[in-house]
Parts: sequence; C-alpha cells; structure tokens
Amino acid sequence: MWILDSAIRSGGVDLWHKDGTVQKCHHEYDPPFYLHLKDADLHHEMIGALEEHYRAEPCTFTTIFGEREGYAVYAGRPVAEAIEQQTQFAAQLFNVDVRRDQRFMAENAIVPCCADPSDRFSPLFEHGLNCMEIRIRDDPARDQTCSDIEIVCERTERLHGQEKTVLADLFGLIAASDPDLILMTDADRWMSKLQERARVLGLEMPFSRNGKYRTMDSRSYWSYGRVEHKEAALIPDGRILIDTEQSFVYREGGLAGVLMASRLSGLSPSLASRFTPGTLISSYETYEAVRRGIVVPFRKSDAEVLRKFSALKTADRGGMMFQPEPGIFADVDEIDFTSMYPSIIVKANLSPETIAHPEREQRGFLPTALEPLLDLRIRTKHLKKTDPAIAGIDAILKWMLVTCFGYTGYKNAKFGRIEVHEGITGRSRDILLQTKDIAEEMGFRVLHGIVDCLWVQGSPAAALQERVDRETGMPTELEHFSWIVFLPLNDGLGAYNRYYGRLSDGSVKVRGIAARRHDTPEYIRTMQGAMLAVMGKASTIAELDGQWDPVNAIYRNAVEQLPSAPAQDMAISRRISRLTYAHRCIEGAAVNAYRECGVPVAPGMKIRYVVRDARMYQVDPAWHADRFDIPYYRELLDRAWAEITYAFRAGRAAGRERQKSPAMRMQQRICAERP
Amino acid sequence: MLIELSRGITLHPGSFTAVIAPEKKILAALNSNADLQRFLFLFVCGNYSRILSGISRTSGNFEVRRPFTADQLLSVIHDASHTVVFVEHDPTLFDGAERLMDPIASALRQAGREAMVILWAPASDRSFAALIRQADRIIEIIPEGPPPDRFGFANQRSCRKGGAVPRAQKTLEV
Repeated sequence: MWILDSAIRSGGVDLWHKDGTVQKCHHEYDPPFYLHLKDADLHHEMIGALEEHYRAEPCTFTTIFGEREGYAVYAGRPVAEAIEQQTQFAAQLFNVDVRRDQRFMAENAIVPCCADPSDRFSPLFEHGLNCMEIRIRDDPARDQTCSDIEIVCERTERLHGQEKTVLADLFGLIAASDPDLILMTDADRWMSKLQERARVLGLEMPFSRNGKYRTMDSRSYWSYGRVEHKEAALIPDGRILIDTEQSFVYREGGLAGVLMASRLSGLSPSLASRFTPGTLISSYETYEAVRRGIVVPFRKSDAEVLRKFSALKTADRGGMMFQPEPGIFADVDEIDFTSMYPSIIVKANLSPETIAHPEREQRGFLPTALEPLLDLRIRTKHLKKTDPAIAGIDAILKWMLVTCFGYTGYKNAKFGRIEVHEGITGRSRDILLQTKDIAEEMGFRVLHGIVDCLWVQGSPAAALQERVDRETGMPTELEHFSWIVFLPLNDGLGAYNRYYGRLSDGSVKVRGIAARRHDTPEYIRTMQGAMLAVMGKASTIAELDGQWDPVNAIYRNAVEQLPSAPAQDMAISRRISRLTYAHRCIEGAAVNAYRECGVPVAPGMKIRYVVRDARMYQVDPAWHADRFDIPYYRELLDRAWAEITYAFRAGRAAGRERQKSPAMRMQQRICAERP
Repeated sequence: MLIELSRGITLHPGSFTAVIAPEKKILAALNSNADLQRFLFLFVCGNYSRILSGISRTSGNFEVRRPFTADQLLSVIHDASHTVVFVEHDPTLFDGAERLMDPIASALRQAGREAMVILWAPASDRSFAALIRQADRIIEIIPEGPPPDRFGFANQRSCRKGGAVPRAQKTLEV
C-alpha cells in the first residue's frame, strides 16, 4: 500500500493510497490521551467527571522514564487544557498533540511513500507517481492572478492570455491529467489566490481529489537566532502538492528527499515538504515513540537538575574551535567526522532518561531511535559518490541529523534535555582534542579546527585518518586541498568560517565568502565565481601566482561593466527580522519600499531589493529597479575582490618566506621524500 | 539575613519582592553581600542570562537552575527549598504560555512565605507586570546619571570590530 496522502477527516483518518489507481480509505479512529497525577485522590471529583462525561479508563502506560499509572481519556485538547487548569498544572499529560494521522500510521505500522514498511530505512525506492509541474511566471508578491503559466506533464504547454481562459485551461489540464504529484512555483502563495479567483470567476478548482483542502496558517518564528516566516498553505486532499520555491526540503533534497522525509516522519509528503528539518526530526522521534508504545509528553516540565555554579560553568561551553592563522597553505587535509553529534548520542547512550548513568546497559530512547537514521546516513553518504540519485536523500538525512543535536536543547523538543545537549558538546570537545593530539604526535601541523573538522598539514593523511577512526570509534571523511586560504578578521587574526581552497579533484570549496553568501548580488557572485574557477586551475601556490593576470582581468572587466550592468543583477536578498527600525537603514528602506508597492511584509520574509541611493536610503524592490547606486555596489565589488586578492598576497609572502629560509626548503624536501 | 539593594532599600526573608533595577545595581548587591555565602541560594534564569556570568560566587551554596519553558519555571519554583530564590525574569518563556502567568505568580508568592524570593528584571514588560501582581513589594531603582547615549550600541559595534570609536554613528548597517 503506497500512501501518498493522509488527512484527519470525519472523526477518523483518510489514507490515500496508490495501487494502480489512487483510492481513499477512511479509518474510524478516536484515540485517547493519557493522564498521570502524582496524587490522584486529590482530584477524585475531576476523575469522576471525566469518567462520566468522556470515556476515562484507568490504565498503565509507558514513558521514556518507565511505566506510569494513570487514565486514558477519550477527549480532545480542550479537555486536556481544562485538566491542566483544574489541577493547577500538577497533571502530566501525554499524546495530546500528536497528529492523529501520524499516530494512526505509527500504531498500525503503516509507512507513507513505501510499498513495504520494512523498506523504511532503505535508500533505494521507486514511485509510480504521475507528475505535473506548474511553472507560474507571474510574481506572487505583486500579481493577484496568473496570466502566464507553463505546464510540464506528458508534454509542455504554455498558457498565456486572459485570466479566465488561463485558469480554465489550467484547471482543465489538471482534471484531465489527474496527476498524483504537482510541483508548483510558489504554490503556497498562489493557492489561496487561485481559490479566490476561481470562486469569483465561477470555476471549479480541481487541485483536491475530493474537493477538500487542509489549511496551515502563516506565521513568523525564531529559529537559530533569526526570524523566519512561513506562508499560509492550502493543501489538497489526495494529491501531493509541493511548493518548489518555498520548500526547504524540496530545495535541498528534491522529490526523493521529500518522499524520504515523509517515510521517516510518518507525515504526508505535502506536509513533510513544508516542515523544517527540525520539525521533521521531532516528528520522526514522535513516530518512533508511538510505534514503540512510548507516550509523548504534552508539556515539557522537567527542568534541568540543580547545579552548582562552578559545575554549570564547566558543562555549558559548546563546541571546540581552534582559531586558524590567516594565510595560504599547500597540501592540506580536512578530516571531517561523519554526523559527529548524532554518532555521539548513539555511541555514548545519551538520552534524557540515561543521562545520569549513560554507562549502564539499558539503552536510551534517543540512541535507539537515531541509530537506524545514522546507519542510513552513513550508507547514503557512501552511495551518493557513485549514484547521484541518492544525493537528495543524503542531504535531507544530513539536515535531520544536524538538527537532532540542537533539538536536545530546544525548549519545545519532546525528548530533549539540556544536560544531553551539554553531554554531546562535552564529548565532542574531547574527541577534537584527542584528534589534534594524535595529529601532532604523528608530526602533522594542525592549522584549523571547527567542532567536527580538523585541517592538518603533513603526511601520510590516510594513516592519520585510520588511527583517528580507530581511537575515537567515529567514522571520518578525508578531503585533500592542493591549497587553502584562511581569510583574516579585521583584527588580523584568522576567521573561523571564511575560507576557500582547491580540492584535489580541481573543484574549489568555498565557505563564508561573497560567492557563497545568500545576500550577495548576482553580478558580484558571478565575478567571484569566475575568479575562483580560474584559480581552481592552479594546483600549487606557485601556479596560483601565475593566474593573477586572468583573475585581475576579470576584476577590471567587472568594474568597467558595472555602470551598464542590468539593475536586476544588483538585487540583494535579505530575510527581514522586523518591520520597524529605530534608525534609518537600507533594510528599513527596503521594507518601506515593499509596503509602498502594496506588498504585505512580515518578519522572517525574504525580500529582494536594489539600492538606488545609499546616502539617501533610497531602495527599490527588485522588480521595479531600473538603476542603482554605482559607488555603493563598487564597494561591495571591492570587498569581494579583497577576499580573492588576499590569496595572491599571502601566496607571494609565503614564497618570499620560503626563499629566505633554505632550512625550510630542506625540511620540505625531506617531507616530500617520506613514503 | 538581608540584601541591601541601595542605601535604605533592603530585601527581607519571608517575602516575594519584585525588583526593577539596572544590571550593575543588582550585581553589586549580590556580589558585595558576604552573608549570602552562608545561605542556600538558588539562581533561576532562562537560556540567556544577563547577569549570571557577572556573579562572582564560588560558594558551594550557590546553585543554578535554568527553566526553558514556563512549565519548567513552575516546576523549579515548586521544587525550590532554598533560603534565597532569585529569579531573573525571561519574557520569552511566556510566549504562547500566558495561561501560566497566574499560577507562576501564585507559586512565587507561596515560595515567598518561607524564603526570600526576588523576581528581577532590568525593565518591566507585559509578562513581568502580570507576575508582580501578587508581589509583597515592588522596588524600582532608576539608573543614576544621564540617560544612555542613543548611539551607544553603534559605538560598541565599532569598537568590537577593531575600528576607532566614532563620536556618533556615521554609517548605517547595510
């Protein structure tokens, strides 16, 4: 039974499955939530009322901390919240907010997007989904309806013209093709507009297979220290609808990534595509808990344990970093631990219920839940080298495993606890220090280190990797750089996260520089990308110096062409964190420009703007821009250029240094002669 | 045992006191009181404390507990059996948990019958105002001296980046 959608309908769950044709199967399902009271006698009247008005039965249920005596109450969230109030928040409640369709599937060992549930952790799968792609050329921020659409199905069709004709043709094509999967540009921004226009024009919108839609509200929220915005969504029943522009999971993992996320989390693919990796890992843990018969807490009320001030200072330190010396370095190897934090959770048995005694035999919930996910990631990381189709699945697994660590410290995580978070970072510091010690003992020079990565100079790197793997018990990956540049901070010390270098396969790996930043205008990104491509041809620092002329020519050409460049190429993308600004600033001006154009903005939304006059704070939304502030963009261009020229300056300085020191030349020759 | 916040303003055991005071003031009061070393002291704060790192307590009696949700804060207050319970107010705990403001205010008042309970914030906000409705005393200490320089933040940024300290903000962030 290959399930492509699930919905909570008519007091039960609708499962849409494809076995040749797509069919809906309704299951009556009214599960209870669970209630535990430390002193039930104190609340005997309330329990009596629950038994009388709802079905409430005494029972025993399992939490991650063990079994609890309590009651199964067949009622919804409002009753659970009333119980909280009445017991002055002394009641412990479980399984109150678990999605009903997800819970049904977990309890019945049903896995979406999977013909056989035993294939849930398999990286290889096929789907027979009938797919349609809808590419809307209009701008959802400005336009209220679509007038230019390209549809890719069995053949490609272009719909262009009067609104009613275009929409009628679009709806007709959907009804005729009856796709299982719709990939649509900005689907979440268009769907409510299309629904409204269809109503006004008297058309029937056929996105849903039974005429029903689920809604998700728009919201702004904090995530990793910045405000994000999620658009409201209208999700059709019986079909997969993916927003190809807004879906992070689709962008990172493609269709395979979305389907894998659905399989793992027990959510419908439409929902899985709209959630963040954090919500997906949280959903995965919830699915796993329900599947194993463990109840999921409604509120997180178990705070960290009481600690001495000195103990807190020791424990709460985060990941380890070694500050690099800025400069350019030849023949550098990067040792990268594969999914280090999840590996620590699994290997060290770190879970809220085991954190006090992780050495004991009983394995915790988090390690056992994450182990198959981690094994799958190790397999996909290996497989993607030969099969590019696996790359999307690997990317989603990577994101889910990255966030599973953060979620152990997240305030709303159902199975998180800050001591687990600290335990993971504590062990990671030990592992990085141990790796550094091993490297130095073997004669390597440690250049840089960030949490789960170490950059070393020396040889043989394979022997180092083998010893690190063996002694730490963690798998690592090795990447060889022909040369690598660690950029400086303003104070002259090395930046932790701004570097680029040429890998042994000739590609250039970049982090933290203009070519990699999301807010860099396309014109500048293209210039820096072209420079890096030229630099990638040099396999040694000496050869790199020979690339100065072509790189400099790219810069001179970019400066020369700047005044005549298209204004659209100067668009800066930013995620706005607020709507009101205490001081005048470019970002505030951009928010005002959007508003003046009648486009509603919310914190966390991404906006694109072109700076017309930086001194006067004059900014245009990207679609309106026809000119730009040349000195302002020249400054941005020069900053990107400075990141490149640093490599040449550092390379020449290193060359002079080598010439001055014959002893060093000798030492290098000895190193080169080693087996 | 008393804590002197300012000359003539002292905090007493067996009370729930809400204090609005500058960070420096509250840190000075905690750090200069040698008596505090002798009593069980519980410091309660959220994920990002403004003053925890400034407290120079090495006493074995100084303990910390950090609730990250309003439900956890309620548990922490119920569990506390210390002579002094100092709660650094964190408004983010109450985002979406307004239902817990009254129970937490009641729990603070209840704890204040036996201990010295201090709820501190550098400035009042909506959730703080709701929590202090049941306080025995509310003390607000206005910072001395001129109001803070409106360009102070920009100056700090410039200094951190290693540049010279400008007299006023010259450029705006892009």
